[in-house]
Amino acid sequence: MLSIEKVRKSYGDKTVLDDISFNVAAGETVALLGANGSGKTTTINSICQLIEFEQGDILFNNTSIRTDRRYLKKVGAVLGGSRNINWRLTACQNAEYFAALRGHSGKQLKQHISALEARLGLKQYHTLEVLKLSTGNKQKAALLSALAYSPNLLLLDEPTLGLDIDTVEELKNIIHQQSTLNGQAFLVTSHDMSFIDKICQKVVVLEQGKVIFNGDIASLKKALYSFKLEVKVPTQLIDNIQQKVEQLCMGRFQQHTRATNLYIEFESPQQVLGLLAWLNEQDIAPEHLTIMPLTMHDAFQTLMQRSKKA
Amino acid sequence: MSWLLLLKNECKLQIYDMRQYWFESVGGLLMICGLFVALFYGAKSFAFDGEQAQSLDGLLIGFLLWGFASAAYLSVTKTVIDDTQKGYIEQLFITPKGITAILLVKTLVDLLYGLLFITIMAYLTMWLTGNWIDINLPMFYLALLLAAPSLVGLGLIISGFALVFKRVDTLGQLMALALMALVAVDGLPFGPLSFIPFTPGASLARAWVSGENPIQLMDVAIVLANSGIYLLLGMLVFKHFEKVAKRKNLIGQY
Repeated sequence: MLSIEKVRKSYGDKTVLDDISFNVAAGETVALLGANGSGKTTTINSICQLIEFEQGDILFNNTSIRTDRRYLKKVGAVLGGSRNINWRLTACQNAEYFAALRGHSGKQLKQHISALEARLGLKQYHTLEVLKLSTGNKQKAALLSALAYSPNLLLLDEPTLGLDIDTVEELKNIIHQQSTLNGQAFLVTSHDMSFIDKICQKVVVLEQGKVIFNGDIASLKKALYSFKLEVKVPTQLIDNIQQKVEQLCMGRFQQHTRATNLYIEFESPQQVLGLLAWLNEQDIAPEHLTIMPLTMHDAFQTLMQRSKKA
Repeated sequence: MSWLLLLKNECKLQIYDMRQYWFESVGGLLMICGLFVALFYGAKSFAFDGEQAQSLDGLLIGFLLWGFASAAYLSVTKTVIDDTQKGYIEQLFITPKGITAILLVKTLVDLLYGLLFITIMAYLTMWLTGNWIDINLPMFYLALLLAAPSLVGLGLIISGFALVFKRVDTLGQLMALALMALVAVDGLPFGPLSFIPFTPGASLARAWVSGENPIQLMDVAIVLANSGIYLLLGMLVFKHFEKVAKRKNLIGQY
């Protein structure tokens, strides 16, 4: 559906997008991750043609967006910074207005908007203009406008910003439903890693305008270990334990210390069984010991650290 | 999407806005009428003697012309400047028809609203001042609609500046003042003044408003040429600044 091909954008000497390439297929939800200033918003704005890029191309259904504006009929966007809706209108009026700009109108649209309004928890504010809504509800109104006309591709720049937990959950459900049942594709930027973890099948990580990872979430986590063991022991034992880790932990792992805590990241639970048995034999009683699966947040952090070291 | 749906959509937006902010709509009309009444009695306090009635009629027509010219010019600049600040100009850029098409349709709706506004204003001010004059409104409107594209072109030029330079309030206010002069200048018959935007149209409107002057095709052609040139110039300038804004990532960056 969407194909970004070696897109490059610079401001003077500063390159903000450096030959980035990735694809978004129909029905796929892709996360676009990266630190502040890594090029996420520039990428989204380039897809919407709010920014002119110098090299490369962006294809929508195999047609260059430079030559055909009609693709915008099938694309929706919730851009960052609450810059999406007319604050003098109500949420529903906005949804109808922006849907009509893409050629959608009628009774069916109104029913769809009404259903979405209820799901997003905006029903009680039906008569209020957006300017009278809270920040979170303004964001919901922007989402309502973008979801109303069911675009084939929806670009969401920080969609969970200011949303309460219930609405984030409902948004996850809506995205899941729209992508699986209607084949809609989503390209999402967010700092909420649990949100990304739940809804996205694929992740593209940007660092200083370059793609440093492009693949599915499972392979990102796999490439960056699956579990983390955190153990707190007396400081004088840490060196000894670290040596034992090297002997007892089989396979791929990495360890590091912070204050009196030792952290071991590894791939399967069996890898640390030997270490746990050894601690037990030595009568070392840790003050604290946990083993947990690595979250999307940990995976992302590790990737960024690796990229910086490289 | 069809142009008709676009037009219907913008009409709906205008109605929502007028209905939800009725105090602003009614207040604005009353304020402008109040301003005219003050001007009218101010002018009346001077000794006009023989030509008094004619001068006061001219004042009313000039006022209506200025009201319409302001609506035509401001419709574009208001959309670009206000929507940039209110925060959804980007969403207008990412529509299949593009921002220029939306601006032009918005302007058309604003002009139709402007005609309604000046009709109410005309009768309200005539009633308030007791100075009833015989005006041929259909011909007056026709002349105004023929001349309006030149002001839309001016609006597009200022809006283009606004896209890139953001704060153009002073320039915009100066232009609004300049409109007072534009509606007073005679752009007909053809001469150097015919090249100033809207001036031939204002002259045509003044000639047609009484319904006594016959339609001169040459005058209509001059008005159309003036309108066409400034509209085209405005579109080109706006397109240029849109390109610059996209290259420098300035759209919506307020």
